[in-house]
Amino acid sequence: MKRLPAILGYGAAVLTIAAAVVGPLFWFGVFTRAAATTALRIDPIYSGGEPARTLARDGYQIVVYKPVPKRSPLSPSGAFVQIVWTPASKLPSAISEPLDLDGNGRPDCVVSFQVPRDPKAKLQVTVEPLTALVLPMHQVSDDSFSSLIARVNDTVVVRVPLR
Amino acid sequence: MPDQARSIVLAPPRGIGRSLLLTLPIALFTLLLFTPVLRQPGLPAKLAALIAWGFMLTLFFLMMRTRETYRWRRIFFITLAFMFPIGFIWDLIALRSSMSIPIEKMISGDTPFCFMVIPILLIPAALTKTLIFPGSILPTPSNPHSIAMMVALWLLATVVLGKAWCSYGCFFGGLDEGFSSVAKKARLRKINPQWRLVPWAILVAVVLLSAATYEPIYCMWLCPFKAVTEFPAVRSVQTGLQFGIFIALFLGLVVVLPYLTKRRTQCAFFCPFGAFQSIFSRTSIFDIRIDKEKCAAGCVLCQNHCPTLSIDKDSIQAGKTLSTCTRCGACVDVCRKDAAVWHIKGTPVGLSPERARLLYLYAAWVFASMFGGSIIANALQKLIGLLV
Amino acid sequence: MAIPNSFSFELFGAKKRNMYVLSRRRDRCERGVAERVNGVSSVAEALALGFGSGPVCLASCGPVLLPWLGAEPRELRATGRLLALFLGGRLAGYLAFAVVAWAVGAAIPVDPRTRTLVFGLANFGFAALFGISAFLPRRHCPLLPGEGTPRLYQIGSADRFRPPAALTLGFLTGLNLCPPFLAAGVRAAATRSLSGALLFFAVFFVGTAVWFLPSLAISPLRRFSVVPTVARMTMGALAIYYAYLGIVCAASWRLAPIRAGGLFIFITGMVSHA
Repeated sequence: MKRLPAILGYGAAVLTIAAAVVGPLFWFGVFTRAAATTALRIDPIYSGGEPARTLARDGYQIVVYKPVPKRSPLSPSGAFVQIVWTPASKLPSAISEPLDLDGNGRPDCVVSFQVPRDPKAKLQVTVEPLTALVLPMHQVSDDSFSSLIARVNDTVVVRVPLR
Repeated sequence: MPDQARSIVLAPPRGIGRSLLLTLPIALFTLLLFTPVLRQPGLPAKLAALIAWGFMLTLFFLMMRTRETYRWRRIFFITLAFMFPIGFIWDLIALRSSMSIPIEKMISGDTPFCFMVIPILLIPAALTKTLIFPGSILPTPSNPHSIAMMVALWLLATVVLGKAWCSYGCFFGGLDEGFSSVAKKARLRKINPQWRLVPWAILVAVVLLSAATYEPIYCMWLCPFKAVTEFPAVRSVQTGLQFGIFIALFLGLVVVLPYLTKRRTQCAFFCPFGAFQSIFSRTSIFDIRIDKEKCAAGCVLCQNHCPTLSIDKDSIQAGKTLSTCTRCGACVDVCRKDAAVWHIKGTPVGLSPERARLLYLYAAWVFASMFGGSIIANALQKLIGLLV
Repeated sequence: MAIPNSFSFELFGAKKRNMYVLSRRRDRCERGVAERVNGVSSVAEALALGFGSGPVCLASCGPVLLPWLGAEPRELRATGRLLALFLGGRLAGYLAFAVVAWAVGAAIPVDPRTRTLVFGLANFGFAALFGISAFLPRRHCPLLPGEGTPRLYQIGSADRFRPPAALTLGFLTGLNLCPPFLAAGVRAAATRSLSGALLFFAVFFVGTAVWFLPSLAISPLRRFSVVPTVARMTMGALAIYYAYLGIVCAASWRLAPIRAGGLFIFITGMVSHA
């Protein structure tokens, strides 16, 4: 009985070594699969949120995402809606599109930007509000997470700030 | 070690044959580990894997032969910390021609995850199921260092090493350990032990603020290692201020203060992840104990040589190190009376400390080879690729 | 789908979406939220809204409340009294804002510029109080209740300056205008009388206050001597952060007219969206 703590201690030490050896072989895969089953998601301020609806156009699509709110008065980024044009390679050279952001059938803003042939060229977007919902943007590139235009893989991502 | 002490290991060196025998399990494991890399095409990858394998084995052999831990572990740890930025920055420059993080990468989830943000994620994840850090949850071809992978790695490290992550796993800690080894003597000797509480205050502050703002406050404002990894592009007063803070913290806490004090000042007096990891210090089966009967009154060599000030008079009286102990082995190697010893919980203190040390080193070195060894090999591959 | 600034969070699997509409006049809502609020259903709604918003309120107020509760060695009952005073101050902040808004005929003054100014002042207040608490030496400590001068448990020990801590901190957090508060504000503004609005707010507040009770768990932790020291150090760090926020808000408030004129001056991320 007196030796039991020592036996358990040595046993735990050996198991620790076994965990170190075997862990990389099995543990990472198990944990990753478990993580995939949780409802965890990347903060929408980075990922842009979830798609709300897709609009078909001639040769490309426009995906309007659900609004991402400002969650805290201390948070430096404001509310926004992400809009994605895909594929970027099939876009016309200039886009100027009235868009309905809240799904009520009326356009809330007009989004305009040029699409240079060079995929590494800097993009700039202008947003003209049509309702009080949207804040204006004039030739904005990537000011912040809530107002930007960026080429992400083969898409053009625009984030329109909301009031 | 502080004050240029040399380790005093009272037992004679172990025989070469016996040392080789004890090194054999590590040799076999690391060979298995590096075999896939050895099979890769290209001479740089093969050479890098061989060198890294030989490097890790040699250090372990020397640990067995000399019965010292701290000196050889420190060589590995400093090498890891200087090699990591080489490999990391190389990949950034190759991909983006810049160390700054473009916003496109954050949107697409192609930013690697850093373990230091783990404590900050917990409350927002519990409340809203969102992870307030850019990246991808699952590994992707463009981002193998996903959040799930790094958290899994951290969990494994915590089970195996506990707080010893700060001596065998953290690829930043070796930087201030390296700079603390440069000077022969400490120029600043008197350090108020209250400074040890600052990491806890930083931890509480960044956890609470991150929960309130849904921003990774530590990464945005306080991480000294942004100076040697990646950072948001400086395009505004705020990002300029952030960059200035990163540089100032790096130079102050990682370079200058370790040089002056010969202590790991960033780790001991600032790092909130270290404070977080201290919570798991007591979960590890391995620890360091101080045999009060063997301890010479008033000696305090162990206290003077601990890089993280994890030993004080009260802890010596209690016969153990503080929860901030990183199991680096400095105190054990410097103790002249064999009073500071390696220990497995549940066993009598001082009974077969060398056996406890061996078992601890097997666990620690297996992890170090898997994690740190692969980082060293990756960086070596880049460097060798330049020459070959 | 009603937007913008909708606030949603998931708690223990139960998804709750709080909607609120920004409007300058309480008798006109762009999204049609205004409806008759009466009796029991309005109290139940306020309570549900408050309880659902509580975790977010606690997260928002946590940086202010928790380090401060941890900073002084007190027994559990004294901590409970402090928490009650803090929550009372927070309620006073909420109600004061609601009364002012009602008096000027607006739903909630959600003009970004006004909000920025109020927010900035609150942040400077936090920074000042925390800075005093963290950095000023103490000649005598307010200890157990009944000893010393129970002036609502002071911050600092200088005889010349003894701000009442609990109420002040609570009041400042009440001015924070977090999304749950704004959601409650819009609902309350839909009531027909000031007393109805205040009642709605008060019940909403009770719903949120339940979530603050676990903060009493700090009390037993204070038997560890390091806890008050760490708490004070935390307050020192937070004082610096709140001072920075206050400066940013002040800059944003000052520069907003220039920005509205079309000259875009990007000072900080906070300015662009404050």
